[in-house]
Amino acid sequence: MHEHEDPLRDLLVILRHAPHGSSWLKEGLDAALVAAAFGQRVSLLFMGEGVTALMPGQGPGALEQKGTAATLEMLEMYDIETLLVDAQALSALGLSADELMLDVDPVSAEALAEALAAHRLVLTF
Amino acid sequence: MASTEIYRYLSVNNHHYALDPEDYLVDMTQWSPQIAEALAREEGIELTEEHWEVLRVLRDFYARYEMAPAMRPLVKAVGKALGPNKGRSIHLMRLFPGSPAKVAARLAGLPKPTHCL
Amino acid sequence: MLLHVVNRSPANSRVFEQALTAMGPDDVLLLIEDGVQGALPQLVRYYAQIEGRLFALREDLGARGLLGRCAESVQVVDVDGFVTLTEEAERTVSWY
Repeated sequence: MHEHEDPLRDLLVILRHAPHGSSWLKEGLDAALVAAAFGQRVSLLFMGEGVTALMPGQGPGALEQKGTAATLEMLEMYDIETLLVDAQALSALGLSADELMLDVDPVSAEALAEALAAHRLVLTF
Repeated sequence: MASTEIYRYLSVNNHHYALDPEDYLVDMTQWSPQIAEALAREEGIELTEEHWEVLRVLRDFYARYEMAPAMRPLVKAVGKALGPNKGRSIHLMRLFPGSPAKVAARLAGLPKPTHCL
Repeated sequence: MLLHVVNRSPANSRVFEQALTAMGPDDVLLLIEDGVQGALPQLVRYYAQIEGRLFALREDLGARGLLGRCAESVQVVDVDGFVTLTEEAERTVSWY
């Protein structure tokens, strides 16, 4: 499906919405999982309020709707291991990377541009 | 996803269990090993310990991640739980011919895997 | 070069900040739909850091009566120009 020496990864999914408030986050994760299930090399980038998807200790919604935390835990089973977080967005919410529920790479604005350029396809959710 | 549409009923020991048009249980909480055996018989599969250990991996996967896995993550989960020899698609194809992720999820009483087409 | 496309006005959405954060030094930004408000002299300051790399879609400006009211630093392109930008870019990223 792809050359191993190809420096471009297949898909970057940018997640910019919080859990529970809308279905954007869920839909973005679905897109990432479908691509990964078909063997694509997928990375995620959390930006804006999307970084709150990584808060530890999330639960179901007020009406017992499922959240997205279990899906995030599942990413490693789909071999989605490149998890980037906009460092500015984290600090804007007073969060630090080491308190999040998954191991993530905080990236500066300059590195963000490089991440976008390093993927064959970029989808924003 | 399991749909809520009832298509037919599966009879096990004089109880009737609703199945959706793709033969997934409509009410996941009704699942029992006897139901798995009845569904397997319809599929022409005789459940052995090798089948059961995969079904247990699937039920654990669902309990943890709230979703039924597509083929790749199923292979990975089976490999993690049962060792690399069993974490191979050929092993799962032999046990659950056709579409292992779908067939095994159905027998394990899970919804249809979301991320395989 | 990547083409970034923004369709929200900086007057009521901060999506433009996400686009700017993600832009590389050669990337360009095209304003479409309500995003074209960002081409007005009063709002274009939000895009000061990418001066010379900011475009706005003529058709969307025209529909809103904003044609001829753009800041001079904004390059106005029509749909054909949009297509050309898309072809020149390695890929397009939408911010909405």
